[in-house]
Amino acid sequence: MSSTTSAPDETRPPRGEGEPRGWPSSRQPPLLELSGLYHRWKRQPKPVLDDVSLALAPTTVTWIGGRNGVGKTTLLRLAAGILRPQRGSVRIGELTPDSRGGVYQRQIGFLSAGDRGLQARLQVRQQLDYWARLAYVPRERRAELVERTVDHFELQELAERRVDRMSMGQRQRLRIAMAFLHEPRVLLLDEPRNSLDEDGYALLANQIERIRREGAAVLWCSPRGEGRVIACDASYSLQDGRLERTE
Amino acid sequence: MTLGVARMRLWWDAMAGIVRRDAVLFMTYRTQLLSQLLGPLFTVTLFYYISRLVTLHTIHSRDGYFGFVIVGVTIVQILTLSLGIMPVTMRQELVSGTIERFLVSAHGPVNGIVGTMLFPAISAMLTGVVTLVVAAVVFGLPLAGTAALAIPVSLLGMVAFMPFAFFLVSLVMAFKQAASATQFIIAGLAIVGGLYFPIKVLPEWIRWASEVQPFTPATDLLRHLLVDYPLRQSATVDLLKLAGFVVVLLPAGFALLRAAIRYGQRTGTVAEY
Repeated sequence: MSSTTSAPDETRPPRGEGEPRGWPSSRQPPLLELSGLYHRWKRQPKPVLDDVSLALAPTTVTWIGGRNGVGKTTLLRLAAGILRPQRGSVRIGELTPDSRGGVYQRQIGFLSAGDRGLQARLQVRQQLDYWARLAYVPRERRAELVERTVDHFELQELAERRVDRMSMGQRQRLRIAMAFLHEPRVLLLDEPRNSLDEDGYALLANQIERIRREGAAVLWCSPRGEGRVIACDASYSLQDGRLERTE
Repeated sequence: MTLGVARMRLWWDAMAGIVRRDAVLFMTYRTQLLSQLLGPLFTVTLFYYISRLVTLHTIHSRDGYFGFVIVGVTIVQILTLSLGIMPVTMRQELVSGTIERFLVSAHGPVNGIVGTMLFPAISAMLTGVVTLVVAAVVFGLPLAGTAALAIPVSLLGMVAFMPFAFFLVSLVMAFKQAASATQFIIAGLAIVGGLYFPIKVLPEWIRWASEVQPFTPATDLLRHLLVDYPLRQSATVDLLKLAGFVVVLLPAGFALLRAAIRYGQRTGTVAEY
């Protein structure tokens, strides 16, 4: 597994010399760059994120931990383009969430925390096809990617089942599958282990490893110590609006 | 294939996906189709018997008040099923978190919301057709020979009504609720748009409101095309008015919707419900 800390970055100054905290020292240019992010919720005295910078290099898995309510979900929502930063920037190369044609969003696979975001009365295959269309998967590849996703997440037996007739763990597996379906280059996962059984977790770990090998960057956020369970290239802790590297 | 054509295909496929989603969801509630078909029968029956009691010297139609009101009722049904249902639908999307799919997708929230309007619009138009067919077949309403021309005029009318739906959806996106505003708008338009009675019976001081929204020319045109009700002004003037409202209100509606989404994204309220 490649590491964000394995080689000095010749194109950037060494960390500590003008480099924002959370910047990787990799030879590869980062895929996703979050720079100086600031976000304060209404009627809250302190910002939930205060000058947070992070860069995800290709072929890396990064974990961010921290207590409940510390701002992990806000950070992921900013990275996904759901929220817009009050200060700072979010980029994938030249692309920003405001780039026309949804080109930024096509690079992002996003799993939100919780169990929301599914059309309860659609069947699994219908749900995947619906998402493939929203994600602008070309029609020539749509059926292939839907079937491949069904295979990768072992959803064959559930493919014709309505979502509201599935267990929480099965729904979570479907939600994760949707994040992978359109072959994103950056995968943002918010508490992906919620409700997953061991088989589901093994499938998730396999697919993370697969897309990492294919050049994607993965950002995994959770309050527990999954940074010690999954094979991470970098781990961070979010606290008091600041991101601190932990290993 | 050029990039523009490829992008257009992706956009079209996403829109078709949203319509298909809504059609599938609609059909999973088995009694919904039946109630949507039976509803017009009861409505037409009600207004048929009311019209037997009403004689107005202000209405110059071959079938009196029945022909006049049935077109108004059809338009109110279309408004309620399309414009009126959108704030409720968007609120459901917020609560269930499915709006997030639009926010993180290449299709984007504005396109997603427009796509969400399509199935209710198609469904409302079909209900309108059923209402007119019931009125003609069961109650003998004589439809004019120009009735088929009502289809393109209805479509233009729907586009002119869309900004009102954008306004209501923008309220939902920014403030999470728009139920009372929806009722207020539909009831207000029914009064000043001349849907249940001719505008000339309104007091002078309120008649200006009939001229500053697209419902009055749309209603006048549809009434003329469907039941041969005389126009207040020429068809060309009504069509130009309708097209003018589309040109002015539609970009304003899009801008408002974009601003409401952007406000929610900046403040974080887009993730609230």
